[in-house]
Amino acid sequence: MLMPSAQGLDQALDRNARIARLRLLLPALEGAPPADAPALPFHLLEVDHALPARGLAVGALHEIAPAGDSHMAAAFGFAAACLAGAGFKTPSLLVVPNRFVGAYGAPYGHGLHLLGLDPGHLLIFTAGDHKAALWAAEEALRSGGVGSVLALLTGPLDLKTSRRLHLAAASTGTFLTVVRPARAEPAGAAVSRWRIAAAPARRCRFDGFEGTRWRVALERARNGRAGSWLMEWDHGAHRFRVAGALAGEAPPAGPAGPRLLRAG
Amino acid sequence: MRRLLRDQQARGSSAPVDDATPLVLAVDAAGGPCIAALNEAAERAGLSSRGRIADARALVSGLQIRPADPAADDAALRRLALWAMRYTPTVALWSEPEGADGLFLDVTGGTHLFGGERALLGDLGARLQRFGLSARLALAGTPGAAWALARFGARRATLVPAGGEGEAVSPLPVEALRLPEDVAIRLRRLGFKRVADLMHEPRAPLTTRFGRILVRRLDEAFGRVPEAIVPLSPPPAYSAARPLLEPIGTQAAIVAVTMDLMADLLPALERDGVGARDLRLTLHRVDGETATVDLGLAVPTRSPAHVGRLMQLKLESPDGAPDAGHGFELLRLDVTAAEPVATRQLVLAPSPESGAAARFAGLIDALRQRFGEASVRHLRPRESHIPERAVRSLAYEAGWPAWPEEGPALRPLLILSPPEPADTLLPDRDEPPQRFRWRGILHHVAHAEGPERIAPEWWRGRIGEVTRDYYLVEDRAGLRLWMFRAGRPALPAPPRWFVHGLFA
Repeated sequence: MLMPSAQGLDQALDRNARIARLRLLLPALEGAPPADAPALPFHLLEVDHALPARGLAVGALHEIAPAGDSHMAAAFGFAAACLAGAGFKTPSLLVVPNRFVGAYGAPYGHGLHLLGLDPGHLLIFTAGDHKAALWAAEEALRSGGVGSVLALLTGPLDLKTSRRLHLAAASTGTFLTVVRPARAEPAGAAVSRWRIAAAPARRCRFDGFEGTRWRVALERARNGRAGSWLMEWDHGAHRFRVAGALAGEAPPAGPAGPRLLRAG
Repeated sequence: MRRLLRDQQARGSSAPVDDATPLVLAVDAAGGPCIAALNEAAERAGLSSRGRIADARALVSGLQIRPADPAADDAALRRLALWAMRYTPTVALWSEPEGADGLFLDVTGGTHLFGGERALLGDLGARLQRFGLSARLALAGTPGAAWALARFGARRATLVPAGGEGEAVSPLPVEALRLPEDVAIRLRRLGFKRVADLMHEPRAPLTTRFGRILVRRLDEAFGRVPEAIVPLSPPPAYSAARPLLEPIGTQAAIVAVTMDLMADLLPALERDGVGARDLRLTLHRVDGETATVDLGLAVPTRSPAHVGRLMQLKLESPDGAPDAGHGFELLRLDVTAAEPVATRQLVLAPSPESGAAARFAGLIDALRQRFGEASVRHLRPRESHIPERAVRSLAYEAGWPAWPEEGPALRPLLILSPPEPADTLLPDRDEPPQRFRWRGILHHVAHAEGPERIAPEWWRGRIGEVTRDYYLVEDRAGLRLWMFRAGRPALPAPPRWFVHGLFA
């Protein structure tokens, strides 16, 4: 603690210093990772600077939602690309509920491989239901047995459960992303919330597909800034590129369109 | 064990059985039905096993006769054998020549758990009595002597002191040597009535006249040659049991006892440098039923805490908790598979390097116990150009599958199984459709790339497989789908379109 000073100016400086110190403490009280926590950078200036950790902080909950049911593959693809970009040496756990497989299909090894994610180092947990998926995710986070957990959810994540997952991730410093259904309530404890829509791919001169593109909206970043970008995945270098800012662009079709606009 | 047969039989029959009046079980034999088994009342009335039913009818009025059911008897004996494993994991059924109506229990080295040999014998007799079984028991140094005394001994329970087999068996009739019927009959004709009569005869003539079996049975009974009994289930290398003063039924209590048992096994496991890969907990219920809980581990462990936690997860899983009834009175933990482990690594605080592997194995164990082996999977590549065959999703096994650097060029992130039909509205022939309806939504195609022609694997000889032409189709909203056309446009039947996967 700083002792109060007699001079007014010193007092004011003191006050500012104390407020600055308290501000630094604030994220920890909120359960957010400290600003200097390890993070997985996008290596994109405008995106990394919107996030307090200059990337996706490990040991925290990140939430990804599709702009509509039909964009689920895009949301999963974006989440998988985030993992692929990080290049984890430790195994990753992919939690896949059976209902997800029924609705959108099963994760395909060669497709994951094309994004740059080694399917060989992926442990897949097939969950009978939403509850089992949450249990497995928390168990994996608390055990510290895997470096990252990507959970595809088919149900809501209430505030209490999302806090549990967030704290479990923090306890072992595990990278955690959940992909939730388009219409489910957002996860309260997530330090970043993203909304993903598919965007027309980049094509080469001969009209062949070259780069997967997404409309990426950072709807909420704790202690950061919201933003939206048109991002492209470099399949060769396994990293993101910004194809353009989305300011003023028309939102994609779908029920969640207006939400995306508001976020921008 | 004759009572056992009767008892099981009575349970299955509809007519009530009166224990006070004579009852026999009939079995078909040459020359008319015979008595297979009988109750005490029938014995008192002067009937004996193998007597003719017709004679018995004449001798006893109001005789109850039921057909024998050997299959049910066998099943009942097996159930009893499982129950008897509360005393030892090595329990063997008597073979057909031995009567197939009793059990061998190898209690070597395990009697102290029950307060010594005499106390064990008393406990066993009292428990069987409670089941309504009047068993004859014998505890001896050899299976042969024990069998002889259980069958022909003067008392219901006989305890032969170590080395006393010869003395105990010699006054018994020659049938006590487990001989084939014809050998026994020939012995009697020649005046050999008791085992003692044979003991001092020269061995060579005995062998010539009666075959090797006689001398072998003699040697086995007296412990001159070892006799291996064939246990119901192979005895585990490491096993610990704990009789409980008060029956337990709660999960927490079962977990606590499991941890204690694992701690009991620890010295033996450490001595041999191994850890448990597979464990089986056998729970003996107060009413004689048994239940088992199996634990499979990803890597060998010696940690009681880890085993305890896995047991808890297993018991919490939907079909994992055994029915406790009035409680369990004895728990046995067997290591059914053991593997070498690096010294003490999993017991003490793990080092950072081994720690990650141990934590990973622990996670796999936890998920498996809770949700079953098949819930934890990994993807393995397979040499095939048929997309759904090129990746296998298999239950996790140790090690990571190696994926080739170069795979197919264009594959979706999610694959639908089976492929879903898409309604193209117009019979597009050669080109990908301009629009199509899939899952009730009309998609307008903005771009398409393809085709990639995938022919069926003719060498597998599957009927009905046709050539597929795959296209990556992007609609105006940016959705990318993997579609194929089944069949060739030239064929008379119009080609059908399917959605097989979704791209990121």
